[in-house]
Amino acid sequence: MAIALLAPALASAQRADTSAFYRALDLEGSGNYRAAAPLYRTALQGPDRVNAMLGLERVYAELHQTDSLLVPLDSLIAQNPTEPVFRSVQLRAYSMLARDDMVRRSFEDWVQAIPGSADPYREYARLLLQNGRAVEADSIIRLAGLALGTTSSLQMELAESRAALGQWASSAAAWRGALAANPDLDQAAAYALAPAPEGARDSVRAAFRSLPVDLGARRALAELEMSWGSPGNAWAALRDLRPDSASIDAWLDFAARAGAEERWALARDAYVAALHVRASPTLALQAAAAALNAGDPQTALALAPASGVDSANAAATVLPLRVRALAAAGKPAEADALVQGFAHLLLPVQLEALERSVAFGWVRTGNLERARAALDRAGPDADSSDAAGWLALYEGNLSGARAMLRNSTDASPELAEALGLITRMPEDSAPDVGRAFLALARLDSTGAATAFTQAAAGHADAASALLSLVARIDEARHADSAAVGIWARILKDFPDSPEAPGAELAWARQLRRSGNAAGALQRLEHMILTYPESALVPQARRELELARQSIPGGGQGGGRPAAAAVQA
Amino acid sequence: MRRRDWLRHMAVAAVGARFVRLPRFDVAHVLVPMDDAQADHLKAYGLTFGALKAGLKSEWLLNYRGGSFLLPDVEELRTEAALDGVTVEPMDDAKLASVRALIQDSNMDSVPLEKAPRIAVYTPPDAAPWDDAVTLALKYAGIAYTPVYDDEVEHGDLSKYDWLHLHHEDFTGQFNKFYLGYRDAPWFIEMVQTALTTARKYGFANVPALKKDVADRIRQFVTNGGFLFAMCGATETLDLALAGHDVDIAQPFSDGTPMDPDADRKMDWSRALAFRDAHLEMSPYVNSMSDIDGHQVNDPARRQPLGTFTLFNFSAKFDPVASMLVQDHRSVINDFYGVTTSFTKTTLKPSDVVLAFEEGTPWVKYLHGDYGKGTWTYYGGHDPEDPEHAIGNPPTDLSLHKNSPGYRLILNNVLFPAARKKPLKT
Repeated sequence: MAIALLAPALASAQRADTSAFYRALDLEGSGNYRAAAPLYRTALQGPDRVNAMLGLERVYAELHQTDSLLVPLDSLIAQNPTEPVFRSVQLRAYSMLARDDMVRRSFEDWVQAIPGSADPYREYARLLLQNGRAVEADSIIRLAGLALGTTSSLQMELAESRAALGQWASSAAAWRGALAANPDLDQAAAYALAPAPEGARDSVRAAFRSLPVDLGARRALAELEMSWGSPGNAWAALRDLRPDSASIDAWLDFAARAGAEERWALARDAYVAALHVRASPTLALQAAAAALNAGDPQTALALAPASGVDSANAAATVLPLRVRALAAAGKPAEADALVQGFAHLLLPVQLEALERSVAFGWVRTGNLERARAALDRAGPDADSSDAAGWLALYEGNLSGARAMLRNSTDASPELAEALGLITRMPEDSAPDVGRAFLALARLDSTGAATAFTQAAAGHADAASALLSLVARIDEARHADSAAVGIWARILKDFPDSPEAPGAELAWARQLRRSGNAAGALQRLEHMILTYPESALVPQARRELELARQSIPGGGQGGGRPAAAAVQA
Repeated sequence: MRRRDWLRHMAVAAVGARFVRLPRFDVAHVLVPMDDAQADHLKAYGLTFGALKAGLKSEWLLNYRGGSFLLPDVEELRTEAALDGVTVEPMDDAKLASVRALIQDSNMDSVPLEKAPRIAVYTPPDAAPWDDAVTLALKYAGIAYTPVYDDEVEHGDLSKYDWLHLHHEDFTGQFNKFYLGYRDAPWFIEMVQTALTTARKYGFANVPALKKDVADRIRQFVTNGGFLFAMCGATETLDLALAGHDVDIAQPFSDGTPMDPDADRKMDWSRALAFRDAHLEMSPYVNSMSDIDGHQVNDPARRQPLGTFTLFNFSAKFDPVASMLVQDHRSVINDFYGVTTSFTKTTLKPSDVVLAFEEGTPWVKYLHGDYGKGTWTYYGGHDPEDPEHAIGNPPTDLSLHKNSPGYRLILNNVLFPAARKKPLKT
């Protein structure tokens, strides 16, 4: 009977408390913390007490009155000993008040109240981590392991504490566990592990790459690799993902980012991976553009839609890409035919741009007459195009070539090679060098090698660079003995040139490839000792280790399998 | 060809005689710093070992900059350092005097290194160097070693060496209980057959009997003054084989008879080097040998997670041996599993010196002790840079772990015998 009589009164009080809570929220939102506080305190008695406590924590923090939380917290915890929010607020309050002893005691009380729960350990560890006390956080997690028999529900805290302690492998292993449960933690994992030093990164990689392939772990690893400046490894982390919609999103995100960083080959691979699962003309065009930018016109042609180029819209998108790809693939006649076939759909400015692409295609094949003719049709801007730059180079006009090619947006290795060489040459004109490049463009590698060798005799300033180019041509056409002769000449005649360490390293590699480890050792030792400041020394040292067979991969192996630490 | 052939520089010089580019210090000594200034800690040990091998006197500056080495400044050393990417610093007399003064006033000491020890590694003839963290480290650092196995031990060849390393050999003769998971694997069948052939060659009925005899000869090696360094499963099983010399502690799959049900009680721990009162694992189906190992990696029900271990800081002047063994540029190191990963405190002999421990756990990681005229050191785990090494995993490439603090502990053990003024011969 008494209860029945009290019930309406209780309901009325609860409505009042609820109303107090929402009024407190409004006041807090408007910055009136002093007025919000008593209302939150009133609401602590009602059904919104958990949220009211969180509100009270916020406003007292603003008012620098966190100590005022302690008494109501004690009462609420006494009434609700298992409510994790009250316990967490209590830990935070004591922490803010720098009462470490009470933080610890509150934690221990919480553990005692719910012995099998990971919550107290998690909250305390987080608090310690926030305060930069990673060692203590780690010890709390260990304590959880001993008390609960597992730290599986504290993987994120474990991961963060280990990262803060610089225990990267251990942190990565814990992140792996945390990501399996919550893949959205990939950014947090990448952020925590990004400071791992070079020497520790392989252990991080191993943790994230281990089977089974896991989306969260791979995304985190890709993010890490990007932050470590290894986009190739980033793609390697993602490409094994099971092809589903989440993976496609990851691939497209990566492709866009790689493209933004002009890592076109990686962007191409990522787009192609997505395309295989989710075919669409737009994606195909993106993949083709990335392939073309990566210097892979054949793939670009295979990917770019060949049919349907019969409207002004398509002509503005697909056509330029196909024309550029054909030109880059050494098929300028096909490119020219395509342009002429769709000329009626193009604006004059579009047509001129395509003519420049066709001209570039003729230049690439070394057909200077056709190139010149195409450039004549390509409008006034053609004079400063890449095609005009290459044309100038083939004609021996080095100053013109330098001026035009320097502004190129082309990232091809050929352009970098040519530009690197002609900037070393002080002359404005060098027809012999032009002829050598022209022979190379016509795929006459023997003629090009001969022409560059002859040109080296007349250009002392760039002789070693010209010879180095010859050696690379010889290597590419498997004329190893000719390449060795060139490297030897560079070392003998130009020992102080920038090309000398590279020549000796290339020679050593060739020796090791051909099975002459002793010869390789001799060259490598000489290179390291002679050019200790060269940026190639780390590569040379690694070659040295391989030649000495003092690290795996140097050709020694066999025997029974290595014994295992972990057999299960 | 021996890599540390000091005459070899002549051949290198003949290539181009371009050593002029190497720095010439014009000082009496070079310091090989072993703190974070060192570019390749592991090869620094090789450089020092090579100097000793060439008859050059060196010093180990305990606790000074991570346990640095002081070497004479000779061109061949600088050449070797440049080739290997080892950081060396010129040390003129004034600087050396100030270093010595600092050492005098601090917990540091200078230990002369006099003679490179003769090194043997107990490893099967067909094992690749990548099979064992110590041979990996020796190979990478350029320290020559001689592989020995049952034949050599039975022939008494251990007396030819100062230092012996054991790794994952199972001296109980049970093949690390690989039988449980790999009984049908061709390599396992071949391994068993080869071991059995060797056992019979020397008149033993089975592999456990052969391995007990090998263990006993290793104990003799230590008794006579040898330096023993064991890792992984060799630590635990060597002691089990020694203590179980007169007891059947092998499961039927290795000797055809069941374990003595009273084996635990019959173990004679006075014969063991490091452990006492351990309890044998009696089940043939549990991949564990005893309760010596704290981590029990291959028993899912008992497996303990990896943490970190901490090196003790000893008094360099009063405990030079222990100090040498813990010289490192890191004092807290990530743990790594092995068939035996750690050593439970309750099974340690009171005379054991604990070199590294894991805070708040009932086990330790790294142990040392004297036995007879020699010493032994046990380091739990398989590969410091491959925490969960499993069969089929790629080998560790130490050129990617040049500064590994875990590997440094291995190489401390290699140099430590050189510090004895009069190394005892076996």
